[in-house]
Amino acid sequence: MHRRIHSREDIIVDSLACLIGLIFLLLTGIPFLHVLSKAFSSETALIANRVTIIPSGFQTGTIRHVLTSPMFIHSFLHSVLVTVSGTLLSVVVTAMAGYALSKRTLPWMKGITVIFVFTMWFNGGMVPRYLLMSQLQLTNTFWALILPAAISVYNLLLVKNYCETIPSSLEESAWIDGAGQARTLFTIVIPLSYPVLATITLFMAVSLWNDYYNPMIYITRSSMKTLQVYLRDIIVESQSDTTMISTDDINLLPEGVRAASIIASTVPILLIYPFLQKYLIKGIMIGAVKG
Amino acid sequence: MQSGTMKWRKKWRIAVRNRQIYLLLLPALIALAVFQYGPMWGLQIAFRDYSIFRDISDSPWVGLKYFQRLFASPSFFRVLRNTVIISTYKIIFLFPMGVFIALLLNEIPFVTYKKAVQTMVYVPHFFSWVVVYGIFTSLLSSTGLVNQFLLHLTGNRYNFLSNPNNFRAVLVFTAGWKECGWNAIVFIAAIAGIDQEIFEAAQIDGASRLRRIISITLPSIMPTIMLMLILRIGNLLTAGTEQILVMYNAVVYDVSDVLGTYIYRMGIGKMEYSMSTAVGLFESVVGFGLVITGNALSRRFSASIW
Repeated sequence: MHRRIHSREDIIVDSLACLIGLIFLLLTGIPFLHVLSKAFSSETALIANRVTIIPSGFQTGTIRHVLTSPMFIHSFLHSVLVTVSGTLLSVVVTAMAGYALSKRTLPWMKGITVIFVFTMWFNGGMVPRYLLMSQLQLTNTFWALILPAAISVYNLLLVKNYCETIPSSLEESAWIDGAGQARTLFTIVIPLSYPVLATITLFMAVSLWNDYYNPMIYITRSSMKTLQVYLRDIIVESQSDTTMISTDDINLLPEGVRAASIIASTVPILLIYPFLQKYLIKGIMIGAVKG
Repeated sequence: MQSGTMKWRKKWRIAVRNRQIYLLLLPALIALAVFQYGPMWGLQIAFRDYSIFRDISDSPWVGLKYFQRLFASPSFFRVLRNTVIISTYKIIFLFPMGVFIALLLNEIPFVTYKKAVQTMVYVPHFFSWVVVYGIFTSLLSSTGLVNQFLLHLTGNRYNFLSNPNNFRAVLVFTAGWKECGWNAIVFIAAIAGIDQEIFEAAQIDGASRLRRIISITLPSIMPTIMLMLILRIGNLLTAGTEQILVMYNAVVYDVSDVLGTYIYRMGIGKMEYSMSTAVGLFESVVGFGLVITGNALSRRFSASIW
């Protein structure tokens, strides 16, 4: 917005907006900075409660302890496995179906879309789902987390809406040139759909990585914990337990270990955040505003 | 009749010609049938005496036995009440925040600063509930940062995380911390869509900044606000099951046990499958009714939501 005239009111509103913006900035930032500082503060500083939003008595022993602890590594790798394979499966299946559903003029496509969308509004619920999974003998396997991710109706609609905006003349000209439907898909449609494919990839990856609910229900074997489940155990334990964990060179407080574990499990999210920003906001627009 | 068959044959021919397209739907349809429609088949155990030692179809029908038991149990109504209360608090306190953040960002005059605030308030949306729980445990526990301040100011510590008196407030606040910025996106988009000439004309006419917010920005995004509000109210029964499962503890069950957590503890925990499926079916049917009503209403404000 261009504002050339600066009245007194403009200055008041501008500075008020900046001030409230700053409050939001701090409200969001301080909690995270606090945990970050705790992860890198010495245990004496933690006991004395000297840690605010900058590390006190900087040390990296806690984070090294977390990153080398077998339980953390295992649950981290479990989450990586589920996230990577679930996302791959989901993107392929969802993108294929979303493209097909964008051909609205073909017979029965609208009816099929309704069959998909209905499941957004009505579902069997937790217990029948759990019983189905045990019947299929998927409980206590990572398949219980990966396979249901194959179809996300929300992502499906994103792809469908996006593909509807691709001019059909592009595909028709490819057909005239003798390319089959499959080839048209790979040479014309997919390259044009990178933004929406990136969007659903990130959506799926974030939701699989952050999922606590499904692993908690379907994975009961403690050797198969995913990261979020392991992390919650640490957080709950740290609240009641204040005894020191002694390792070779350093004494660790459960509080510090908790903070370092939180930081270590958030790093993947923060690393891809620039991409998340770029694509997800576009993606949510495609979803919210009918294209 | 004849023309009906002809029409069907013609459709069939078109479909066969485009069979590759239909083939692309196959994996998704299989996944949908197994993991979405499969559990719906299992809903019948709400009307049967199901036990894990026999098949669903071998379990005797008991009609509405479990629903009668449900509607006679005080714990069900406590849970239903908690669900509606927590959800309503979240709508009342958090929904307007999304609109507020969007309006605020629009008034920040420096582009870089505006982008910084915007980027920052989106971040927590991408944290898991467990991480959010961990962050707020660090802040709110008896030795946490907030209690350090309270200790300095008042000389007392305050119990936030296992105190029935304020646990709902903790739930609402943390949900706001995580999602308010993200919820503003759709309003930010709506504001970006407003014709700038209207603002310029109003400015020439001498309308003040506040006047412009109240008389131009807000009315322009009102359809979006109404649409989002109706959709949110349609999801009244979703009080945040995952959040509560992560954050609650036995001390605060009374004020924070919602339908989703109740089903989990009864179904997966105590293995009362038929009873908990009945609760789930109740939740699904009422939720479906609300969502459908919400969508029907929202069509009055906007053509379609998808």
